[in-house]
Amino acid sequence: MTTTLPPRGPSAAADTPALRLTGISKVFARVSAVEDITMEVRQHEVVGLIGENGAGKSSLLKILTGIYQPDSGTMESHGRVVKFRRPQDSVAAGIGVVHQEQSLLTNLSVAENIAMAGVSLKDAGTKFGFYRWKKLNKEAESVLAKVGSTVDPRAIVGDLPFVDRQMVEIARALRVDDALHVPPLLILDEPTSVLERDETETLEREIRALKDLGSVIFVSHRLDEVMRICDRILVMRRGRLVADRNTADVTQDELFRLMIGHGSRAAKRPEAAALRTGTPVLEITGVSRKGAYRDVSLEVFPGQCVAVVGTIGSGREELCRAVFGADTIDSGQIKVDGKETRNWSMRTAVRSGVAYVPAERKVEGMVGGLPAADNLTLAYPGAAAFGPFLSPGARKKLVSEWFETLDVRPNDPKLRLERFSGGNQQKVVMGKWLLGAQLKVLVLDHPLRGLDVGASETVNAQVQAACSRGVGVLLIADTMEEALDMAHVIVVMRDGEVTARYDLSVDAITALDLLEKMV
Amino acid sequence: MSTEILPAAPDPTTTDASTGASAPPRRRLTALDLWQSIGPLVVCLALFALVVVLNSAFLIGGGPGILTLQATFILLIALGQACVLNVGSIDLSNAALSVLSAMVLAMNLSSLGPLALVLSVALATLVGVGNGLLIAYAQVPSFALTLGTLGVLQAASLVISDATTVYVKGSSTLLNPLFGTAFAKLPLAFWLSVVLAVVMWVVFRFTRAGESMTAVGLNEQGAIFSGISNRGVKVLAFGLSGFFSGLVGIMIIAQGGAASSFGLGSDLLLPGIAAAIVGGTSITGGRTNPLLVIFGALTVALIPIASAVLHVPATAQSLVYGLVIIIAVALTIRRSAGSIIK
Repeated sequence: MTTTLPPRGPSAAADTPALRLTGISKVFARVSAVEDITMEVRQHEVVGLIGENGAGKSSLLKILTGIYQPDSGTMESHGRVVKFRRPQDSVAAGIGVVHQEQSLLTNLSVAENIAMAGVSLKDAGTKFGFYRWKKLNKEAESVLAKVGSTVDPRAIVGDLPFVDRQMVEIARALRVDDALHVPPLLILDEPTSVLERDETETLEREIRALKDLGSVIFVSHRLDEVMRICDRILVMRRGRLVADRNTADVTQDELFRLMIGHGSRAAKRPEAAALRTGTPVLEITGVSRKGAYRDVSLEVFPGQCVAVVGTIGSGREELCRAVFGADTIDSGQIKVDGKETRNWSMRTAVRSGVAYVPAERKVEGMVGGLPAADNLTLAYPGAAAFGPFLSPGARKKLVSEWFETLDVRPNDPKLRLERFSGGNQQKVVMGKWLLGAQLKVLVLDHPLRGLDVGASETVNAQVQAACSRGVGVLLIADTMEEALDMAHVIVVMRDGEVTARYDLSVDAITALDLLEKMV
Repeated sequence: MSTEILPAAPDPTTTDASTGASAPPRRRLTALDLWQSIGPLVVCLALFALVVVLNSAFLIGGGPGILTLQATFILLIALGQACVLNVGSIDLSNAALSVLSAMVLAMNLSSLGPLALVLSVALATLVGVGNGLLIAYAQVPSFALTLGTLGVLQAASLVISDATTVYVKGSSTLLNPLFGTAFAKLPLAFWLSVVLAVVMWVVFRFTRAGESMTAVGLNEQGAIFSGISNRGVKVLAFGLSGFFSGLVGIMIIAQGGAASSFGLGSDLLLPGIAAAIVGGTSITGGRTNPLLVIFGALTVALIPIASAVLHVPATAQSLVYGLVIIIAVALTIRRSAGSIIK
């Protein structure tokens, strides 16, 4: 470390804010990411930071953690003006961050991961560069105890469930405090997006408990969650801070309007009539895969959306991947548009009109280094090509139409896709499949994961548009409400077997009914 | 080709809110962008200027002719290597393959005439395709596989040449124009290889196959999940590398009239890689510009000339070679991709 904070002098009174930003702006070559942000985080306060995908939350966090340097404005930490030239500087000022995508090294132990956040080698439990395992594990245990976690420091992170990993992340971020004796400021960047419901509740309790230790900035787009956890809520829209409200004085509806600039629309259920006609676009008969699912049969008719619900380990992910050829099946039969699939691979699947929007968007869903335009035409280049040759004019026209339809922001198709926010990336990934005339089956694996309200609406609308042109949709939803909202038919899986099947045009069911069949 | 589907009508509420944001942002060509697109050209010109300033006889004494003659070999081999690098692989066997195909050409040129050219290039392309097939289907990493092929090809050329030099039997004037004719004082062969570089540029920029190669190089998993055949793409890239090795084989015979395991062309592997990298090709895949590879090849060919002009003793020439490559890559590499170092 190059900078260490001096012990806090008497001038730092208890009412000095833990963090104060004044007029912070950051402009990239093409996009103004953050504009004139002035905000404060008091000591022992949980502040919520909300905004749509692309509202500038991530950029602001990157400034707070020293990854980006602001073009103008000042930052103060506990009353001292600070400049973060690199992430270590922000750590030295007592700012710890838990990232949206987990950043733990899954092949190392909990203690090792926690030690890595150590600000000095002495604190990291090493001697002459060698680990002192006893000290390391003991320190990790005490840090974990502070956040109320009982995870074994010797456990390998990869073996832990997500909620425990999240606790390890928090513990790791808090090590900052241990080493520096500064009340820490913990930034949680959408920590609940990968968690299941009950795990979320555990985490919420822990976050409220963290208030005693220091301050928290909680970034999320789940409004109910923010309302429950935070004392104060900051709303960002298009790079600006548009509201600063005490939670007590604000309603969820108001926040929603502040966030997206227009009111919420009621979700429309498409007409469920005449959906069991014609040849099924997808017919799965008695498929099994060892260790994943047994003897599963289901069919998807043109224009129908079939949601598969189940807990982790129900085999629904594996089943959907098999439909796309990303996984093999041991026995059984999958028919696409009446034709049996043989030598099924992702390439043949795409050519037969099967599409897949994966949960692992960055790895499987897109080629981040290519421009957004190229990603849009990657799967079905036919519409923007003349034989083996690309046709730049046709592509430009096609892409600009789809950019408008999907409301992709920023509207710059030549920008590399990795530079877009998650929600806008997902719009492009959806568009890649939707623009193909040959699309018959659309497999959606957690399509709304990590998306804000605006992007979710766009994706929802596009799924409905696809249904109305006769595409069959196989959906793995994040929540049961989402499944009930989007699907015509719900298939429930438990431990690799189908336990129930509901036709929503006939059966009036609730999330509770589904839950009963799931566990 | 498939007909295009018209997008569903945009949702009025969302477009309302976003009209401000969806106006195309200003597109500025930053100094960095500019440098990355012409950097290799600048490096090449700077080195050329240095040579001319220190030795003005270079221009009059036919220096450019000699320079481009050398560059022809390097450029052709580098174009093949750039294809392979662009899909995220590497081909270590290309120089050995060009020597072997030169030998095959030398043995058949007088008896078969033009057909011998086709035969030798076809043979080299097939070996390249074989490399690609083994990499794609046996999933042997390209580094390991082509290291193996390198050994096999070297042994094959030693055996068929009986460890001596293979001369073209009889006299054939077929290949004389390649280095015998000149346009603008530069040999025809060089212009041909420049044309091929332009063709490759068109392939990467304006064809589906070229884009698929780039996509696989950038994110193989993501490309597969979009239905791109990563295997087909690898076979294509290695096939192209073999094809260019075959062309180098022709150039070897055209220039020297003979081929041997340790002669002309046998030491092209490293200059080829160097030219591709100095020309801005990413060694981790997904980024190449064949037009800039031309300048990469010229730069690499200039190095021995520049070190002679600078009176660097022959024993220390590889010092200049190493320094130029390090400096050229450090100046032109694209850093915006992030801080990950390979």
